[in-house]
Amino acid sequence: MSALVLTDAAYRYPGGGGAAVGPVSLEVDTGEFVLITGPTGCGKSTLLRLAAGMLQRHGRGEVLGTVTLDGVDPGTLAPADRVSRIGFVAQEPADQVVAGTIGDEIAFGLESAGWDADRIDDRVAEVLALVGLPADPSRSPAALSGGQRQRLVVGAALAAGAQLLLLDEPIAWIDPESAVDLLKRLRGLADEGVTVVVVEHRIDAVRPYVDRVIELAPADTYTPPPAPAPAPLGDELMRGTQLRWRYGAIEALNGVDISVRAGERVALLGRNGAGKSTLLSMLAGHLGDEVTIHGSVVDVPQDPDLALFCETVRDELAYGATEARLSDAQIEARVASAAVALAIDDLLDRPPQALSRGQRLRTAAAAAMACEPTVLLLDEPTSGQDRAQVDRMMAALVGRTVVFATHDQRLVREHATRAVILEEGRVVDDGDPAEVLA
Amino acid sequence: MDPRTRLLLLLLAGVLAVVLEHAASLALLTLLCFVPLLLAPIGNTWRVRALTLAAAAIWTTVLSQALFYAEVPRRPLLDLGPVVLWREGVTHGLVQSLRLLSIATAGLAVVATTPLDRLLAALVALRVPFTLSFLAVTGLRFVPEVGREILVVRRARARRGRPVWQRSPARWLALEVSLLRPVVARAVRRARTMAESLDARGFDAHAPRAVRRPLQMRSWEPVLLGSAAAVTLAAVAARLLYAAYVAEVAYFPSLRPLYGFVRSWL
Repeated sequence: MSALVLTDAAYRYPGGGGAAVGPVSLEVDTGEFVLITGPTGCGKSTLLRLAAGMLQRHGRGEVLGTVTLDGVDPGTLAPADRVSRIGFVAQEPADQVVAGTIGDEIAFGLESAGWDADRIDDRVAEVLALVGLPADPSRSPAALSGGQRQRLVVGAALAAGAQLLLLDEPIAWIDPESAVDLLKRLRGLADEGVTVVVVEHRIDAVRPYVDRVIELAPADTYTPPPAPAPAPLGDELMRGTQLRWRYGAIEALNGVDISVRAGERVALLGRNGAGKSTLLSMLAGHLGDEVTIHGSVVDVPQDPDLALFCETVRDELAYGATEARLSDAQIEARVASAAVALAIDDLLDRPPQALSRGQRLRTAAAAAMACEPTVLLLDEPTSGQDRAQVDRMMAALVGRTVVFATHDQRLVREHATRAVILEEGRVVDDGDPAEVLA
Repeated sequence: MDPRTRLLLLLLAGVLAVVLEHAASLALLTLLCFVPLLLAPIGNTWRVRALTLAAAAIWTTVLSQALFYAEVPRRPLLDLGPVVLWREGVTHGLVQSLRLLSIATAGLAVVATTPLDRLLAALVALRVPFTLSFLAVTGLRFVPEVGREILVVRRARARRGRPVWQRSPARWLALEVSLLRPVVARAVRRARTMAESLDARGFDAHAPRAVRRPLQMRSWEPVLLGSAAAVTLAAVAARLLYAAYVAEVAYFPSLRPLYGFVRSWL
């Protein structure tokens, strides 16, 4: 029996703009695990919000067609009823945590649904076990790893008995082991009769667990140019010896030795909390001054929004060159080159903060590239990007010296010249990506 | 301690900070407000930072008031020719800084030692409108995040350009203002995500909610609150009576010891 039915469902932005999504018709059966995929910006997240009834309730645009959940329009469900039927998990789990303990976080929906206080504790314990979180409900969500926090918001979403679970890029921020763990648990939920709809770009990682893949729009057909023959490595540009860093009682880096030579594309891998971002911050010179750097370094933080401070994309790309006091022609050449390389040349006059997440990430990377630094540092350059955009970005980086942190092993195999694996603040493997990831 | 007790003590501390005008009594109030902060599990780094900030606030306020005190009568404490430090300015600066510090410390102690969801529950229990309570608590929660984000934007900008001091003051100011653009945009996105999360989890500000962990005062908390309220009310009453006496509105000879106490200590 179909649990979720969309019939010519579409959403149009106010003011006569184009459709954000649709029209889409699809049926998802009870207990089915479905992956929705498609190129960046095709409306996957909007579709999830339509299925959750959010745009019907709060959207300023126009909802067309019909969406029903077990025959009922989800936009008309009363709050207490809604939480008992639909679980919705947006991107970026940290922004969705509202309570001070993991127990209260799980209990939030139960309190909204009006559960008796004595039943809530039992249910909290059940849900913590279901999503594989520590049994102590008094722990702070801040003490959880990225993967655990993602499972916490999933648990909070389904605590009140939701039979439809909608998840927007649930594995974008977590390491492969945590992703597999989460996907297995979602598969288990589906086997128990919960309908699960996931939007995700890491298709290969999700496909083994789902019943069906729905492609919302044809994939971008970018074909990367053939990889050039490996060039001999140049001089050493960066060296850090016995790098250590602590955040209070937590030892983030514990004696890391690393050097980077000209022309290398070094991938930093490891579980959430292994020390990748801390190492990038030390290489960038933001933390400590133990790293010897020959030349200039520009970094793109994990949250690209925080690297975008100009009024337009053009200003953003021109900032570095303008600061370097280049001529107008040189500045324009750098802007054009970076914009074309990262496929944002049609966005130059738009405000960066008004773009989609994938576009913002590419703008931040292009702005960093336009500075033509000796070494470019990227923290999670693939989150929110479809495969074609990732390949396009990495193709633009060929010939440059790049260090990037990622969870995407395909990206490392196909685009890195070297892989460094971190575990609990130490380097445990360092070498050719094919050998390290074998 | 029940978060309602903490909030009510904070309120009483605020009333006392306004009512008291004597440096010694304000210093005692400030010390009392520091106690929970010193006992809070916040780490020594934060304690040292708080004490350093407190010392800096007192020193700068006292010094500026000592230098620029303009009321008369005033007596020189230190006469260096062109620069004079005024005795009354020092006292005035001390009173102002301690007044600010006591209430800021008490507020910090409450925020640092109370989980924000419990703070929210306490505000609601104290009949503060839910929307207002939620807004205040959520805002508090994101204060450290915003500070961290400003740092990240500043670093990103520094890596892509020249140092700030290598430009005109106007350009520098414009760049500083532009730092807010990504931070505000990020705050809006974060607020939207949280609103969606609350909406999806059936949150309704106007609907009754079940409570998993009801607030519960221990037996000694009403006693503590009653005592603190009695002290505060007594201070307010004494101040009012003294004000009536000074303004020649009402004078009671039997209250002369009280007038003396207020003048010397409150």
